[in-house]
Amino acid sequence: MLTGRILSARVGTLLLTLWLVSILVFFAGQVLPGDVGRVMLGPFADAQAVAELNKRLGADQPVFVQYWLWFSKAVTGDFGTSLSMRGPVAPFVLESLKRSAALASIILLFLVPLGVGAGVIAGLNAGRLIDRLIVMAGVSFGIVPDFVSGLMLLIVFGLWLNWFPISGVAPDAAGFWTHGYYLILPALPLVLNLAGYIARMTRAGVIEAIAADYTRTAVLKGLERREIIFRHVLRNALTPTIAVLATQTGYMLGGLVVIEALFGIQGLGNLVLNAAKARDFPMLEAGVLVMAAIFVLSAAAGDLVLALLDPRQRRRTSP
Amino acid sequence: MTKRRDIDAVRNLSGGIWNVAVDEYQGGFLKRRDLLKYAALLGLTGFAASQGLGGARAAAAAGGTVRVGLGQPTKAIDPVSVTDPASIGVISQVGEYLILDDPKDGLQPKLALSWEANETASRWTFKLRPGVKFHDGRAVTAKDVVASFERLVDPASGSSALSAYKGILSKGGAKLVDDETVAFDLDGPNSNFPFYVSSDVYNAVILPADYAGDFEKNFNGTGPFKLESFRPKQGASFVRNEDYWGDKALPDRVEIKFFDDEQAQVLALQAGQLDVIPSTTRLELAIEGNPNFKLLSVQASSHDQVHLRTDQAPFTDKRIRRALALTIDREAIVKGLLKGRAIVGNDTPFAPIFPSADSSVPQRKQDIAEAKRLLGEAGVPNGFEVTLTTERAYDIPDYAVIIQNFAKKAGIDVKLNVLPQDAYYGSATFGSSPWLDSVLGITDYGHRGTPDIFLNATLKSSGAWNAAHFNNPAYDALLLDYSKARDLQAQRLAAGKIQTLLLDETPAIISYFSQYSRIVSSKVEGVRFTAISHLLLDRVSFVQA
Repeated sequence: MLTGRILSARVGTLLLTLWLVSILVFFAGQVLPGDVGRVMLGPFADAQAVAELNKRLGADQPVFVQYWLWFSKAVTGDFGTSLSMRGPVAPFVLESLKRSAALASIILLFLVPLGVGAGVIAGLNAGRLIDRLIVMAGVSFGIVPDFVSGLMLLIVFGLWLNWFPISGVAPDAAGFWTHGYYLILPALPLVLNLAGYIARMTRAGVIEAIAADYTRTAVLKGLERREIIFRHVLRNALTPTIAVLATQTGYMLGGLVVIEALFGIQGLGNLVLNAAKARDFPMLEAGVLVMAAIFVLSAAAGDLVLALLDPRQRRRTSP
Repeated sequence: MTKRRDIDAVRNLSGGIWNVAVDEYQGGFLKRRDLLKYAALLGLTGFAASQGLGGARAAAAAGGTVRVGLGQPTKAIDPVSVTDPASIGVISQVGEYLILDDPKDGLQPKLALSWEANETASRWTFKLRPGVKFHDGRAVTAKDVVASFERLVDPASGSSALSAYKGILSKGGAKLVDDETVAFDLDGPNSNFPFYVSSDVYNAVILPADYAGDFEKNFNGTGPFKLESFRPKQGASFVRNEDYWGDKALPDRVEIKFFDDEQAQVLALQAGQLDVIPSTTRLELAIEGNPNFKLLSVQASSHDQVHLRTDQAPFTDKRIRRALALTIDREAIVKGLLKGRAIVGNDTPFAPIFPSADSSVPQRKQDIAEAKRLLGEAGVPNGFEVTLTTERAYDIPDYAVIIQNFAKKAGIDVKLNVLPQDAYYGSATFGSSPWLDSVLGITDYGHRGTPDIFLNATLKSSGAWNAAHFNNPAYDALLLDYSKARDLQAQRLAAGKIQTLLLDETPAIISYFSQYSRIVSSKVEGVRFTAISHLLLDRVSFVQA
């Protein structure tokens, strides 16, 4: 298991990362044209009204002052008030995080069995027809961008067949299963896009594990084929797959701007995009920091799973 | 044609100005509809209503839910600071104005019952409709009306209407006369003032005097629907307001959903999950020829203005400016790019829909030979190179390419520089905005009920949006004449002079005025909207299949 020392190193890295990201976001945002007052009141608004609004929102202060004001509050857990939505930032970010997490869960629910299953089948049958078919299919689906497949799926399953709603958002009163059902169509483009990649990773791991010494030893020991595959091959074969899944989870939670827009899911990606468009710095900072935290934490979670699978990993101290 | 007797009957409704309009109408210079619209402007609201404008409609079945798709509001919804079409669509379910500028029927009295001006049109007095209540049950009084306008002209209130009222109404200008009367003392004479308190200034929703900027909490207005639920970024639903002062809304409910993506919007409409969506040229292609949908359009004064910087080479010479304007085939643009949903413009903000526009001014047409001749005269017989800067929005990038191709015919080499919309506007101040600084640019201007703001802000020497850097004392003087002109004849006389001057000088090319459209399911009847995104659903009924 992870020792206390490693854990504190991890937390330290996380905090340092978040702090650097917060600086980067704030100062990168300064190069965007226009200011929050101008964006909010529009290009045709009176200059005096814009100046007054900037003053009221504190956007007329020097950038270092603005950052310090934000930062000194943020360390106490107060992420401030959204400039464009006029309410505290936290509920908006939490709400969008919930939606993104729901979507990511549905994606993983389909992606892991499909990708890993196909990869294992391909790896165990390396060189045969089924292997080639799986790899080909994976590559073919992998090169279709999500906004194309998303639109296609919407047209076929939403419009023509009417199997799924056009939107990814269930009515408020809907139950758990209905919410999940609404998310199936938005999840599919990502599942299709990533399944081939995951399958290829798994396949490579399986082929490598089959060729490894420990597998030969197990075969020579006369163990059952099933036991060999599950206890020796897969346990080692899944290492690269888990690493990839961990990095992709961050992307699923914050990078699905196009899919979120297409299916009307107000997730994190969308929140960050709209905050940037509106020059809404408190919202932008909070959104990006949550995303960064997810990236770091999912990478850490991946390492943790690897450590559980592979005793050698536990002695690594690098974060 | 109205009979002689009827004309005499309407003659003495108002003073001399009105009689001039009646003369014009009799002489065939003024359409009946324009006469009635004019009556409304003068405050003769009873007369317009008696002539069947904006009045009774066929009885339709009540009930049902209208499902609407809109874009994503860009910020918290608040009538005072609203700028985006989606928020205006939402606000128009619950909020009302003193006057509605109806695209078909002109000015319609809403919370104001009647209005009149003093002799110089510098003071306007509005009688309020009695018995109107906000959704929270409180009565609407003159206090609320005064507070609503004082809020809009206060720079500290975050109002986005300040530029609309600049030079027209200042703080302290709205005055309480009694509980049911409000007067406006203007900064100067303005014959078109009723438009400024109408839905044309979409911020001018009448809100309670103690409104604190928290509109999203309860959407407290006076309109035919009231709030049922609101979810930021998702949508809103409204139910019939049973205490409404006028005809109760026909639909039981209105459900609005916000979309980030117009493709998803049109798919939802096609799947029967929506009844009304905004329209774009691309979406119109998707539903063309489909009997399940209708495209509804209203003619607007919205246009894409091509500005030519009169203070910078190559456009310091007006012959060169005219040459570029002469390369453009306006009819072709209206037919091709705009699919016929526009009318040809004549390089001035006087859209044909404005009664004050002088239609006798000759229409500029494509004339490549004349363009080449002018270029030769100006010393550039082989043309010149110039960069056209514009925004990636609506049909504008396509329009830019079309201009590029037309200009080539006269040897003018136009390079395109298409920027994201917010980059194009920049900080929207001279010196740090591609919009206001570029030598040649295209800017989208939304619909206005009068040409005043276009004339003042985009072409007057001191105008805040004067991208052409047009500095012409003769024009500024004519503009003053125009705003002082009280009767239609005088207005049209001044307008004709302005139009002629602008054709000669060509600080801007306005080759078309667009229509504003919405796509509606064939199952619904009675969807009304304005060219500035108000969506009026109180008369909607469902066709019985």
